[in-house]
Order: sequence, then structure tokens, then C-alpha cells
Amino acid sequence: MIDPSVMPAKLAAFLSAHGGQKATVTAYEPMSGGYSRLMAKAAVTWADGRSEHLVLRGDPPPGKAMMETDRATEWALLSALGRADSIPMPTARYFDATGDELGTKCIVLDFVEGRSLQSHINECEPGDYGRHTFDLVDTMARVHSIDPNDVGDAIARPNDWSTYLSGLIDRFRQADRAHAESNPFLRYVAEWLDANKPAPLPLRIVHSDFQPANIMVAADGSHQVIDWELTHIGDPREDLGYYAVYSASSGPSLIMNDPMAFLARYREKTGFGEDTVNLATLGFFSSLAAISVYAQILAGAAAMSNGLNSGIMTTYTLNALTVGHANFMGGCVAPSI
Amino acid sequence: MLSKPTTPQVLLDCRRELLETIDPAVSDPNVKIAIQMLENVLRNCAERSAHEIAWMREESDLMVAFARDVKSTVGSTPEIDAALTAYEKGDNTTLHLDAVSDSYSRAGECLSVAMEKVFAAGHTELHLRGRDILALRLVHEDAIKGDWAFVGRG
Repeated sequence: MIDPSVMPAKLAAFLSAHGGQKATVTAYEPMSGGYSRLMAKAAVTWADGRSEHLVLRGDPPPGKAMMETDRATEWALLSALGRADSIPMPTARYFDATGDELGTKCIVLDFVEGRSLQSHINECEPGDYGRHTFDLVDTMARVHSIDPNDVGDAIARPNDWSTYLSGLIDRFRQADRAHAESNPFLRYVAEWLDANKPAPLPLRIVHSDFQPANIMVAADGSHQVIDWELTHIGDPREDLGYYAVYSASSGPSLIMNDPMAFLARYREKTGFGEDTVNLATLGFFSSLAAISVYAQILAGAAAMSNGLNSGIMTTYTLNALTVGHANFMGGCVAPSI
Repeated sequence: MLSKPTTPQVLLDCRRELLETIDPAVSDPNVKIAIQMLENVLRNCAERSAHEIAWMREESDLMVAFARDVKSTVGSTPEIDAALTAYEKGDNTTLHLDAVSDSYSRAGECLSVAMEKVFAAGHTELHLRGRDILALRLVHEDAIKGDWAFVGRG
């Protein structure tokens, strides 16, 4: 999918077969910045004279992925969110479900003009992020305001919050069992979280990799959310916690300047109360929320340890596991004597 | 064997070559990002190779001693007994890396099951001591990680 010498012809044939008219690919280039999937951008001209840019998002070769997620699930989710017009996001247009046509299982989406929110805040003076902070909160609240019915059966729906949260906490233990060596951080955090569960919230859509690199900003400042591969239905505070820990290691952080104001805005936009969204629950979910991404990276490390995976992305992201350990422990407040 | 230059010195020299010779000759942005990642991994490996056997041994001793103290203070569980037996039956003396790593994993299981017992017993002092062992582990991991952030994102 990243070979510009063969992909224009393959993509043109694919689009012509599925787009209802002949397509010509006039430019094709791999994109950097995607960690888990291969990404490329193509310029396309259709027989009716329209021209547009499209993005391809496909699976790396077997044994080269830092995490394994299912393109068919992602396609079903993106399609459902698009049909329901749930939230501004790039339209998912086509899907090569087998990889027979594009060389790998691949989703073709609209290209979004503009830059990521990450690139915008990188240019800000430290501590002076203007509208970006509340824009980020509002976009997160918008994700959490999506009616879970919008996605139908594209992703699993837990029965109830209590069972769901216990299952999520148990993923720490499952990750430990599945790994190539014992990891005491995981079992400690699982025990701590079990002993300190917060009050429940309604189950909602959780993006699971909610961070500014996954938000595209248009010229008018509006946001489009991308990269939904880890999305599930769960506790919306998972995204709050995940963003807090992600931005602590890959800043600048828009929450740590003034977490009280950040949470107040989030409560205002979601209607959730201070009994459920506060600094204590932020700490709890900061420990809990990263488990989805963490477990995927740890599984990649285990696969490498067992000779089943290779690649710089796997070895490079081992450091993210250390970041995870620090965040897990940071959220698990020590008892006092 | 030749022990000098040390493994960290060799790895850091590879890193220097990567940054000073290879990186300037590359223009592809995706390869540039891969080079930044390789640079980081070589730094990680240099630090790790300098200390990992000593650090794993140091932590293993603490983890196993902790499990034994939990057993004697608040009582044992079948899991603690099994973990301590597995540790003691294994090779905990060989200094080849694979053996040290295996021993470290068995010691880690001792800590995990001991902490589960500590939670169940609500024993604050042992809880804090267990956290201190995890904190030491994190100090070592942080030293290996060094400065790190996701490169190429955004």
C-alpha cells in the first residue's frame, strides 16, 4: 500500500470498480504520522471531471503491526457514524475487505483539508492555548453525546456499567497473563482500581485514542475527529483519563494548565454532575483508560519476544509501556498510615 | 571476549553514525521518522545493556523477600506458595541474560500475588512497601526510556 510505483494503477482500478465511473489517480504518496496503520494520500480525477483527494488507511504486513485491530469493524463503525451524521468526521467511502484489490485490507476516506489540532497547539506559546482548550473539550463532549444507538451493532454494547467496568479492570490481569513475563504493575493497578470504583455514568461512545493528533481543524476552526479504530461503548471518562495521560507525555497538555476549568466545561457540555466528573475520577480513569492502547502495545512486545513480530514501531513504542506504568501508578493514590 | 569498548559505547557509536552520516543523506520524511525512532531505541539499548542484569537481580531480591514477609505477616495463599515454590525451583544464579530474565519474571509473580494478599488484608504498611518496589522498578524503566515522546505525530 505504500509503494507509489504500483499503487496508482491499483487504486484507479479499485475506485473505477466501486465508484461507478472511471477514476484516474494523478498523485499518490505515503503519509507519516500514523502509528498503527499504513496511511497514504491520493489525488483522484473522476470521468465526470471532479477531482478530489482521498486517504487510504490499511493494515501493515503480517507481523509488522504495533497493534492488531479489525478493519471490518472499523469500516462498520465509520459507516454507521456517517449514516447517522453523528459527528463531523471524514466520510468513509470504500473498503477493500479482503486486500485483494489494494494489497491489504484498506479503508478509503475523504481527505480533510487543514492541519491537526496537535500542529496548532504546537505553535502556541506554552500556557497560552486560546480557544483550543475549550474547543478540545467541546469535541470530546460531542463524541460522548453521540447516541450509542447510532452505531447499531457495529461494535459491542455492554450490558451494564458495573459489569463493563469490572471487565475493563480485569483487562489489566488479562494483559499480564498474556504477556511474555510477569508484570507486577498490572496486577497492582487492577487491585487498586477494584477497590476504588467511582459512581457510574451512562455508557457512551468512547473514542479511546482521543488526542489532538486525531482532530483535524478546518479553516473555520471546526473539528473533525479521525482514527476510530479503538472506539467502543464504555464509560466516557475513559477519554478524559486517556487524554490526561497521553498529553502528559506528548504535550502540550490542554488539561493540566487548569484541570478544574477543563472538567467544569466538560460537565457543562455533557450535563454530567460534579459527583461523577471531578479530579478524583480523572485520576481513576487516568490509570484505567490507557489499558486499551497499553494492552495492544504490550501484545506487540509479547509477539516480538516470541519471534512473531518485528519492526521499529514495536521496539520504539516499548517506551510507551513505561509511560503507562508511570501513569497507572500516578492515578493509584497511595494509602496513608 | 572484548569488553572494551563496552556494549553501551558500541551502541551509542552506532547512534552517532546514524545521526551524523545516514540521517543527513535521507530526504524521505517517513524514513526520517524511522531514523528518529532508531536513534531512540539505540539510546534505550545502551542504557539497558549497561544495567539490566544488576537491576533485575536487585529487584528480584526485593520482590521475593517481600512475598516471604507478606506470607509471614498476614498469612499465605495458594498463589503465594506456588509463586515462591516456582521461584525457588528455578535457576536464580546463572548470569546469562535469558536466565536472569526468567528469574525476574518468577520474582515478579511473587510480588503480584503478595500484593493481592495485601489488598485483601488491608495492610497499609505492606502496601506502601510493595509500592516502593514498584517505584524502584519504574526508576529503572525511566532511566532506560530517557527523553521520549511520540515522534512524527501531528
